[in-house]
Amino acid sequence: MTTDANAISSSSASNPSGGRRADSIFRRFNVGDALLGLICRTSAVVIALMLASLVLVLLSSAMPAIREFGLGFLVSREWRVNELERPLRDAAGQIVMQDGEVVTETIKPAFGALPVIYGTAVSSALALLFAVPLSLGAALFLVRVAPTLRIAGPLSFLIEFLAAIPSLAYGIWGLFVLAPFLQTTVGPAFQNTLQNVPGLRWMFFETVTISGKLVERPIPMTGRDMLCGSLVLAIMILPIVTSVSRDVLKAVPRTQIEGTLALGATWWQSCIAMLRYGRAGLFGAVMLGLARAAGETMAITMVIGNNNQINPSPFAPAQTMASLLANEFAEASEGLHRSSLLYVALVLLAMSLVFNIVARRLVIGTTSPAGH
Amino acid sequence: MIRARTERRRIFSNAMFALCAACAGVIVALLLAVSGYLVWIGAGSINAAFFTQIPTGDLNDPGGMRHAIEGTIILLGLASVVGIPLGVSAGVYLSEYQHEWLFAGPLRFIADVLTGVPSIVVGILGYELVVVPVAKMTSNSVSFSGYAGAAALAFIMIPIVARTTEEMLRLVPKSYREGSLALGASKAQTVLRVVLPTAFGSISTGVVLALARVAGETAPLLFTALGSRLLTRNPSEPFPSLTLQIYTYATGPYPEQKKLAWAGILVLLAMLFLVNIAIRLVATRHASTRLGKA
Repeated sequence: MTTDANAISSSSASNPSGGRRADSIFRRFNVGDALLGLICRTSAVVIALMLASLVLVLLSSAMPAIREFGLGFLVSREWRVNELERPLRDAAGQIVMQDGEVVTETIKPAFGALPVIYGTAVSSALALLFAVPLSLGAALFLVRVAPTLRIAGPLSFLIEFLAAIPSLAYGIWGLFVLAPFLQTTVGPAFQNTLQNVPGLRWMFFETVTISGKLVERPIPMTGRDMLCGSLVLAIMILPIVTSVSRDVLKAVPRTQIEGTLALGATWWQSCIAMLRYGRAGLFGAVMLGLARAAGETMAITMVIGNNNQINPSPFAPAQTMASLLANEFAEASEGLHRSSLLYVALVLLAMSLVFNIVARRLVIGTTSPAGH
Repeated sequence: MIRARTERRRIFSNAMFALCAACAGVIVALLLAVSGYLVWIGAGSINAAFFTQIPTGDLNDPGGMRHAIEGTIILLGLASVVGIPLGVSAGVYLSEYQHEWLFAGPLRFIADVLTGVPSIVVGILGYELVVVPVAKMTSNSVSFSGYAGAAALAFIMIPIVARTTEEMLRLVPKSYREGSLALGASKAQTVLRVVLPTAFGSISTGVVLALARVAGETAPLLFTALGSRLLTRNPSEPFPSLTLQIYTYATGPYPEQKKLAWAGILVLLAMLFLVNIAIRLVATRHASTRLGKA
């Protein structure tokens, strides 16, 4: 395009009747072009630098923890911020005494990301489990039924508006409405019906070490637990998964649907054909929801209970990578603690980037007109 | 036999139809219930003092959130000053210089990647990249500031604005550019006088949506702006924001402060709703006048 412009300008400049005026205009044009090019290219470079600085800064600040723990960080369960001083025990679990005094041992601070990786993975997976079937059903409704009822427009507007509600709002709703409801109604109901079912005891009881002994005790129902976290996440990702799935299904060629119907398929069978046709894009929609759920911070911090542990029970408090960062980063002193948190941030970044990239590739491949 | 099977298929299909309708119904009902509840409680908690007073320190009469509303507006203003020009010009690059350097393709990818960065990570970047270095330079122990918060918000805005601008510019028909060039206009003139004005409406829509999105962000401000209970207009100090104040009050123990948090959520939601409605009205009119005739 630049060459076009030059060609046109120079032809007008070489026009004898144009004279000096055209010549000066020609020069001014080039200055404008150069200036615009400079501005746009600079902004482009700034965007590239943003990503580079993001990765480099996180990497360099996380370096001490990466050096100290290596990849073992990802599978270690320990998260001790301070040095721990405790009575030394021998192999039999007896406290070691020397000269009538308890011998103590000092345990160094240690950091491992497994509990938060577990928390993120499980809460996101549960959220998808709740949200995806609902979203797919609703997307089918939006594409195949709503237009004939003339409610596709308002419904879509509603869902898009709800996608724009800040996570803080969902968090507050979860904290003040959902969590108390789970604590007083849903949790006890499950407890009463299921706790005596063999094989489901882990849902309501936990084993903890109290002064060297293993004790089994009921998990206190606070309402702020893995279940509440994943329910809030599910509600938050409903709009985005629904609207992206709707776009994917909309892009299924009409002939595909008509073809199946002509072969005698029922409404549902042609829907299955649609889902199958758009499966890559739908998978992308799910991945977008996953990325959103995994990186979500404020809402999850308010409702998941913030306990850095691995407990399979949905009624036990947990912690995700994002909520760990929100809770501890401000208080973390310089050194290994902060560096470990940055390591967690780096893992979180890498994970959500992978989800996002895969999702975008899949969705763009199916919804863009070039895909057909 | 065949008829029975057809009948079964039909019944199953109808059942699934009802299930899909139910899914849509459940989603809409759920989301309306959530936002309706927020609005309902918020409406019961809001009063004039919310807009005119700042925190008093009195737990039974905690004042209002004027400082936080003004803080959010100032933060958005600062973020826009940097974010909008950078985002729009990067969008122009992506659309109008797309054939050059083999750079536009990777850049689009980078912009997409940046829109997917979790906002808490952006907050941490702001801390490491702005707060810590400034603290070292000024030899303060900490230097949380409005500038750092605005930088984090701009970081989120820029890729969104860039990608929206690019998409809107691509909707401008190629014949407009060719017509302009054929009349002897330079590339800069074509872009500034023909392409950008044609897409102006939709680009500003995208910019407003990006602003609305960052207005509701809390996580990027946690470790940058930090929040403040004072009516400060100096962005080099810890800076108040509506979302931070709501978060602090909502997670705190005092009932009167929780009421303020509900009221704050209502204000946020009302703002988002108005923005969405306005954009929808403008966008429909715009689409039917300018690009529609193209």
